[in-house]
Amino acid sequence: MIYDNPVIKESGGYVVHIEFCTGINLNCNICVQKLWQALMELSKSGIDGGIEEIVPAYSSLTIFYNPEKTCAEKLRKTVLQQWKKLKDKKLPLESSLWMIPVAYGGTFGPDLEEILAATKLSYESFIAVHTSKEYLCYMLGFTPGFVYLGDVDDRIALPRLKSPKSRIAPGSVGIAGKQTGIYGVESPGGWRIIGKTPIKMFDPRRSPPIAIKPGDKVRFYPVTVEQYKQMEGVYLTDLSTSQGEQNEH
Amino acid sequence: MSIEIINSFFASVQDFGRKGYRSLGVPVAGAMDQLSAAYANTLVGNRSDEALIEVIGGSFSFKILKESLIAVTGADADLIVNDTKARTWRALFVNEGSVIEIRLKQRGLVNYISFAGGIDVPSLMQSKSTYYRGGFGGFRGRLLKNGDVLPLKTTDVHSVLDEVAGKRPTKDVLERIPDRDEILNLRATKGIHADLFSEDFNRIFQFIYTVGSSCDRMGYRLEGQCIEKARTLGRVITTAVDRGYVQLPPDGKPIVLMADSQTTGGYAVILHVIREDVDRLAQCSTGHKVRFSLVDTMTAEQFTALYSSILRNPPLQEPEEEYYGELPW
Repeated sequence: MIYDNPVIKESGGYVVHIEFCTGINLNCNICVQKLWQALMELSKSGIDGGIEEIVPAYSSLTIFYNPEKTCAEKLRKTVLQQWKKLKDKKLPLESSLWMIPVAYGGTFGPDLEEILAATKLSYESFIAVHTSKEYLCYMLGFTPGFVYLGDVDDRIALPRLKSPKSRIAPGSVGIAGKQTGIYGVESPGGWRIIGKTPIKMFDPRRSPPIAIKPGDKVRFYPVTVEQYKQMEGVYLTDLSTSQGEQNEH
Repeated sequence: MSIEIINSFFASVQDFGRKGYRSLGVPVAGAMDQLSAAYANTLVGNRSDEALIEVIGGSFSFKILKESLIAVTGADADLIVNDTKARTWRALFVNEGSVIEIRLKQRGLVNYISFAGGIDVPSLMQSKSTYYRGGFGGFRGRLLKNGDVLPLKTTDVHSVLDEVAGKRPTKDVLERIPDRDEILNLRATKGIHADLFSEDFNRIFQFIYTVGSSCDRMGYRLEGQCIEKARTLGRVITTAVDRGYVQLPPDGKPIVLMADSQTTGGYAVILHVIREDVDRLAQCSTGHKVRFSLVDTMTAEQFTALYSSILRNPPLQEPEEEYYGELPW
């Protein structure tokens, strides 16, 4: 359920935290995106110079501010004012569609066998289900370039692993509940790994280091081992087929 | 100009961190004790946020390959230059070929070594900080290893020396680093999930915790009494987190997030430690006792604003006559 007015909390003397609902759902995340973009505009225009960084998540937005220049009390008012203006507006949010190749199963997706057994789906029908949708990028986080996407079809929505693995290779594509995601760098992780993209998702030398941003859409498509090898290590924006049309939501 | 690492256990190149990339999942990283880092830089005439070497747990030595102006700050340590003791918290002119060693003593855990001009490593996403878990930033994206030759920026060390010779911080800057037998008071505001703990919230202020053995640049795990409510809370919806956030995982034992904090997390956040106290906590090693006390947002804002201004421009005392003699500290 989305709150009528966002719940605003402050902490540490430099953080304002804004919550729109208590769950994970598309409409709530659209509220996050709307306010994020409005506040970014505002902070770029210099109207509220005290905002240093804004981080969107599933159902919340976190503002890091400079208390030498502004304060929580002032930001609280700004947020509510902005929200009043935005609330009922249908905004054209900036959003790109990215096509991501994935090699499913085998050494690329060590947990796929188990998922097929649990879901009673064939390899082909699992891929058909996973590639059937355009997923929303709810947020990026925890490690550099980890992309949180959703929502996956209920048939393949399996909970995260009981004990996390200590090393998951960059490019690994996983499932955790209704979410699917891509690991940007090597890290520990508890998601069930179904495949791997040959694409370099995160490159710290690029600006920006990852092309996908919160609010973008992602669609997966299957590739063979041969195709995987051809595309291996190519940065997302250098892949001619990676970007679909701009769309609005 | 450059230096050669002779012995390194846990050292990396850091500045004040990478800001503005958290929405892409990129951690801030940066110096664990920013005030000590700021002083190290200021003492050698650098901007306070210049890149320097952070040494955790001592056991660090290196060779100066061309004459330099350096300063060592942070934890109480013996600074040995060619077998002779030298002063920490002071600009120090070192000749080509000098061998410099840091031996940690009783008070503190983290040292900073600054070089006039700074360290010549590429800036990535507007920072030279090493984020070794992601394999980028700093020197080749990793901790320093024995035999590494670290390039320094060229600068006229003699003219810098004229500016900074003998300048030092006031005594309280050194005394802020917690002593082993001192219970460190961590001042904190309510965290973003404080309400979820209902009456259990106040219990966290009644306990004394000890810094656990699983501590690193990402977070310090505290041992002690469990906050029972955490067991029933489980995970919360993933949200942005930061250095100083006190998370309570289902085992009920607090984790204080540190400089390499992940950008988002799914554990309930009970408290948010103010910046200057997170930096002091960074200086505590396993077994150090800490407790929490509550401050309100306005107080935290005042502390944070003041601390930020000090970090930008750490105040130094002018040299005094006694500068040539031994100081009491």
